[in-house]
Amino acid sequence: MAQDPTVPKLNFEYWLDKAIEWGQATTLESQKDVCLHLSQLQEFLHQLYEAIKHLGPTVVIQQFPLIGQLLGRLCWNPFVIGYDESQKTLMWCLCCLYSSEPQNAVELKANSWVRSLLCHLLSSSKWESNEAETSAFISALGYTSADYYCHLVKNMVVSLVRELRENQFNGLNIQESISASRVNAVSIFCVPLITLPDLAPLLETLLLYHGGSSKEILSSEFLESVNEAFLKKKISLPESVVFSLWLRHLPSLEKATLHLLDQVLSIQLNSLEEVACVIKDSLLPQAASHPAIFRIINEIFKSALMETDGTSEVLTVIQVFTQLFLQDHQNENKQHKFPLKAYFPYHHQPLVRRLVRRPFELPTTYWSEHVKHISDMVKALVEDTNASSLTDLFEIWFLVACFGEWLDIAAEQLLKAAVEPDPVLWLLAFYYCPKNENQQRTQTVVEAQAVYSHLMMLFNCADLSLKDLEAAVHRVMGTEQCCNQQFTTHLLTNFLLFSPGGHKIAQECIYHITEITDTSKEVHNLLIRTAHRFNHSGEENQRTVKLLNELLQKLTLKV
Amino acid sequence: MDAVLRQVEQLPALLAVSRSAQVRDWDCLTLDRALEWARYFQHLHHRFRARPQLREALGRRLRRSQPLPLLGFPALGRCPQLLGLALLENRALPPAACRCLLRGLLPPPGEGSGCDPRGLALLARRKAAARLLALVPGPEGQLQAEARLLLGRLREEGQEAAEAAGQLPWLRAALEQLPQPRACGVVAAALALLPQGCGTEQAGDTDRAAGSSQGGYQAGAAGDGCAAGLLLSWLLGDQERFSAFCLCLPSSQLAFLAGHYSQLSRSYLDLLTSWGSRLVYDPLQGRWVKSCLDKAELSWEELRERFICLCQGPALLREQTQAALELLRTRDGDFKVRGLSVWTDLLMEVGY
Repeated sequence: MAQDPTVPKLNFEYWLDKAIEWGQATTLESQKDVCLHLSQLQEFLHQLYEAIKHLGPTVVIQQFPLIGQLLGRLCWNPFVIGYDESQKTLMWCLCCLYSSEPQNAVELKANSWVRSLLCHLLSSSKWESNEAETSAFISALGYTSADYYCHLVKNMVVSLVRELRENQFNGLNIQESISASRVNAVSIFCVPLITLPDLAPLLETLLLYHGGSSKEILSSEFLESVNEAFLKKKISLPESVVFSLWLRHLPSLEKATLHLLDQVLSIQLNSLEEVACVIKDSLLPQAASHPAIFRIINEIFKSALMETDGTSEVLTVIQVFTQLFLQDHQNENKQHKFPLKAYFPYHHQPLVRRLVRRPFELPTTYWSEHVKHISDMVKALVEDTNASSLTDLFEIWFLVACFGEWLDIAAEQLLKAAVEPDPVLWLLAFYYCPKNENQQRTQTVVEAQAVYSHLMMLFNCADLSLKDLEAAVHRVMGTEQCCNQQFTTHLLTNFLLFSPGGHKIAQECIYHITEITDTSKEVHNLLIRTAHRFNHSGEENQRTVKLLNELLQKLTLKV
Repeated sequence: MDAVLRQVEQLPALLAVSRSAQVRDWDCLTLDRALEWARYFQHLHHRFRARPQLREALGRRLRRSQPLPLLGFPALGRCPQLLGLALLENRALPPAACRCLLRGLLPPPGEGSGCDPRGLALLARRKAAARLLALVPGPEGQLQAEARLLLGRLREEGQEAAEAAGQLPWLRAALEQLPQPRACGVVAAALALLPQGCGTEQAGDTDRAAGSSQGGYQAGAAGDGCAAGLLLSWLLGDQERFSAFCLCLPSSQLAFLAGHYSQLSRSYLDLLTSWGSRLVYDPLQGRWVKSCLDKAELSWEELRERFICLCQGPALLREQTQAALELLRTRDGDFKVRGLSVWTDLLMEVGY
């Protein structure tokens, strides 16, 4: 067969050099190096197999004369054989070198060599003297090497687990404690075996193991690999073990949080329940019951917000995360529950206490008062000349943003209840436009008041047309400041949902806005959040619910 | 059913052939047929394992067709691996058939199910895992694994309700495959595991919980008694073997076993007695020495250590040991002074 030019150039020499360098992986450096390259090697072996699977053995050797050296060396490296699916691919490659009709001495020799290697991998090999006796004994009992190695691995795991557990309680007795280097070594040897189900008890025991020293004794390769396997759902671990992993290895926690953000942002989620499901599965809200974890996750969220310029999807993740965290925290019956201050140490505690009250905990008649209190407190904090640095401002804004439910309720209350509009408008203006160096926020408030008055005038009109709302719509489209755009869109959307006359023109109006501006994502997001609230608190007006669902359907198709 | 019984009789022959030079005439077709048979036997195992009477019938027939009853009913379940690995190791298998075998054992991706039907990739992985975990020096997992398999096999026999007498030659043949020190170690480990009640875990059903644990606990306990009995017969049946056993195992382990098995403690004490009787007192050195420098006996220090360990055991063992020593001291003349009777000195050492 002619050489296929479309086959990608395999980095054969590189891997052969590596295999020679590693040998049988007897030194610590070689072991760590193998661990770092395991997944790339697996990928390479797969590509190699794809390249040779349709070729005859002689052609394979012509194209890759050193393939025997490579495969042979890798077969003696237990890290490679123990990893994931590498042993399968390696054996398939070996089978490709086996001829069913050997024509010459070379092929005969290759056949014999392939069989010896396969025996080495699967049963007893002539190269290992101590295996011969054992395999004779096992055969005499009527068992196979499959049974033997199953038991052997289980036993080794059990005895290592016992050793580690016993040592936990003897942590104070320095003489009897296992040396840190031993535990470190065990963790390195486990790296290829993480997805092997037999190892699960050992993984869990290692992750929960605390020796006497304050330094981390588990190898970082091990911690990273376990985290990877967990995030890719290749293994499942009990919650306490996952929390332990994240508490002792910061990069794993960061990766897990970023992975969650990626997940939520990459798929189109159509309801808040779906978002909540994904976030709950990640175990991050549950882990956040440890204040240290909570604060680190929030720092990552803050960075994500700044990088994406405060996009509404990230905000939604943060808000749902906070809700789930609170639910978990309040449901816990643990005696040593951490106080709220541990999670929000640098914030004004009365404000925190108000924000963490879930809306359904208060009767709806108190909601406006509650929002007013929040608004007053935030205003006081923000306008305090001592706390006017940009960082402080951001921190306050972030705190309020985490509890976005109250903001949504505030906006709703503006249109549904008889409230004093100014504090509410101020709070929403602060949310959409926190900075005020050039009086942007003040302007936003003024704008908002104008829009609000206009909308309130139209509130009880039965027969509305798009023209009546034109002034408001123009504001949405015409402003340069996008924060005003978002704020106005929010007010407008709420108006359409909750005013009796707004229902008829709702679809037309929203279609119009989202066509012209870039706000379809924000509107979609707002509608999802409103739908979620309706499901939980129950919206009495059936027409509103129906309208909401229709709007969502239309928008979902578009977005 | 009769047809099935006749078929099952063929299994030992099939395995024997697969290990012999007769395979050199096999072609792809023959090989595939053999693998089909193996799958069929496994299918029989799955069908009948929850039905005790049929199990027994098949097991009996299987045993009748072998000179040494190596294979019982559970072996039917392991047939594909038994056959596949035996053929893989058989160098007489011609290349064409071997190629078919490789394709059958290690189906490439895309052909058939994605998962590993014979568990061979898992086997390779576990073998590597064993090597990796062995890099951490620790207690010998190998001995434990061999002991568990031995016990598993003995339990299988026990469940088949075969006569004990017929099993001893088989056990002897199996243990002969190991060098003596190792065989002693395995038997010791097996005897040590039994009192801890390592459950009715069937050694053969490796990955999934066996459905055969119906009434498993009681059968297990009875099977354990049988297994212990067999192992002890093997051990105590040959004086030389027993003596080697007691020499190569550490005293603490022997004391543990003596505490759990009364036949063992009696024989052990007898053996220690005979060794002790051969020590003579050297007045110039002021201590007991071996009468001839035969390695297959204990020195004074070792003897003393053995007795101390025995006296640290459970109450019954302690009393038994003390009584034996006192009897021997009395027989020797009941001296209370050192240097006259080894038993007097020993009693003083162990604190009585």
